Amino acid sequence: MRLRKLCYLAGLIGSLQACIKDAPMNPEADIEKVTFDKSLMTGDVFIDQANGLIMLYLTPEAYEKGIAPQLTLSSGASVMPASGDSIRFNSTEVHQYVVTSADGHNKKTYKVVGVNIGTWKWDFEKWIQNEDYGYQHPIGDEDSATVWSSGNPGIAFSGVGEDPQAYPLRTTTDAYHGKYAAEMVTREGTVLSGWVGIKLFAGSLFLGVFDIEKAFAHPLEATQFGQPYRGEAVRFTGYYKYQPGPKYQNKAGDIVPGMIDSCSVYAVLYTGTTRLDATNIHTSDRIVATAALPEGSAKANWTRFDLPFVMKRKVNYDEKLMMAIVASSSQYGDKYEGAIGSRLVLDSLEIVH
Amino acid sequence: MAALLLTAGQLCAQQNDQKETSFTPHLEHRILAGFNFGATAPVGLPNTIRKINSYWPEFSPSLGYELGYRITPKWGAAIGVKLDYKGMGTKDEVMYFPTIINTKDGGTFSGTFTGKNKTTVRNAYVAFPLSATFTPNSKWRFSLGGYAAWLFSSNFYGHVSDGYIRSGGPTGEKVIIDHATFDFGTDVRKFDVGLQGGALRKVGRKLEVMGNLNWGLRPVFPDEFKGLDFPLYNIYLTLGVAYKI
Repeated sequence: MRLRKLCYLAGLIGSLQACIKDAPMNPEADIEKVTFDKSLMTGDVFIDQANGLIMLYLTPEAYEKGIAPQLTLSSGASVMPASGDSIRFNSTEVHQYVVTSADGHNKKTYKVVGVNIGTWKWDFEKWIQNEDYGYQHPIGDEDSATVWSSGNPGIAFSGVGEDPQAYPLRTTTDAYHGKYAAEMVTREGTVLSGWVGIKLFAGSLFLGVFDIEKAFAHPLEATQFGQPYRGEAVRFTGYYKYQPGPKYQNKAGDIVPGMIDSCSVYAVLYTGTTRLDATNIHTSDRIVATAALPEGSAKANWTRFDLPFVMKRKVNYDEKLMMAIVASSSQYGDKYEGAIGSRLVLDSLEIVH
Repeated sequence: MAALLLTAGQLCAQQNDQKETSFTPHLEHRILAGFNFGATAPVGLPNTIRKINSYWPEFSPSLGYELGYRITPKWGAAIGVKLDYKGMGTKDEVMYFPTIINTKDGGTFSGTFTGKNKTTVRNAYVAFPLSATFTPNSKWRFSLGGYAAWLFSSNFYGHVSDGYIRSGGPTGEKVIIDHATFDFGTDVRKFDVGLQGGALRKVGRKLEVMGNLNWGLRPVFPDEFKGLDFPLYNIYLTLGVAYKI
């Protein structure tokens, strides 16, 4: 009798598994990886998945001769033009890829963008706003190049609303020079960010890219610092203002009495084409020079900084280098510590060659 | 042949007559105690659920009182009041699972999730079952009817892991999720209504064993809740005992 009941039970469980339907066809249409001859790169390719951009950092030779990128796609997806086809940059033609998902329902377009920094000087006069999420980021005053990034794209995923002011990095008219400056304000987390254990978002601004894929699982690797650079660096100069928020909190969100928040502003020059991130920007043996604000206490008025690069060794002219500038309204914001309301304003930054 | 049937029919009728003469309509009181086993689940699994790795019933007691009224020897009606915990846990794996999450602070996430999920459900209701009863003999009683239930405590929480979300849908940007918790407890509907039916079998002078299936007809989440893109229903079997008082 008992045996028979067991058989029934086994049958029932079996029939539950039988309820599992066939797997859906893959609806995804990503370009996951773009690879080509590394000697033609000044910096590693970055695929901006949110905006459908393939950002290339190329040597003059690559611009002359063109490149033949190999594409890695979502499984089963197809792409036009094909992976391995040559791209030449001798016309004003816009290069783009259209990926079709395995199930045929979805198409995703990626535009190929060559990124170059003309002048290493920023007054933060030009900003663009993300259409979907409403956050802002500065672009080059003269060349409109997208070289700055921040934690904003990750914060957009936490549902803070489409108001640029809801994001920790935004433009402000409280400027030292020109009309605008970059304002970073540390803010509280959201209910959604709490689900992944994040209770605070520090304001950040950095030369580099934000890898959204790692934003929650490996946040320190999501902030990829640096843009291709050539030659030596002499000084890092600019103007800032800083006001720490009233209550310092730790990662758990508990107030730490007596702790006062501080800002951080620094520049790092390193070798190679692969960006350093928040796990190794201070420790990598690829670092050749740094220039850092010695202390990040409150500054009510615009304060100039002029920081000489401390060279660890001489650099060769033909060496591939990257320069990172990193600023945050909470020094330990990468550990989700800081004071809500801490405000850092930056203007007129320059890397003096 | 026809005569035989006729005789049999007459015999039957006589028997009935005899019983009916000794039968008077009366009330029956029962205390019901048991445990609920089942699931808060979709009816038919959507293809976004790829694998059920495990399932377990949560501690889900059911305790109540039933008032029955026997109108005829075989037929009657019963109404009850029960404290019903309905709970379960499951671990599963999903693929391109659509979800829209709205949080109290105005935050919203809309997209798909691929990865592992663990969900624990434990909802407590005050339920009022109403049934027609059929008592074919002294051993068995069958009942069929409906129930209305009011929620007084709800838990619907869990975590997702080893996967990724995509904002906006399959072509949105991918974000890896190592571990994220969720809690939809406050979204559970306050009122549930459904069908229920079961059997009692006499095992002692006053004691009966009981099996009763409760099938919710109203999705446990309101239509505006989009955390899951398919409706879940309370489908639970109460196994326990009834004690006549």
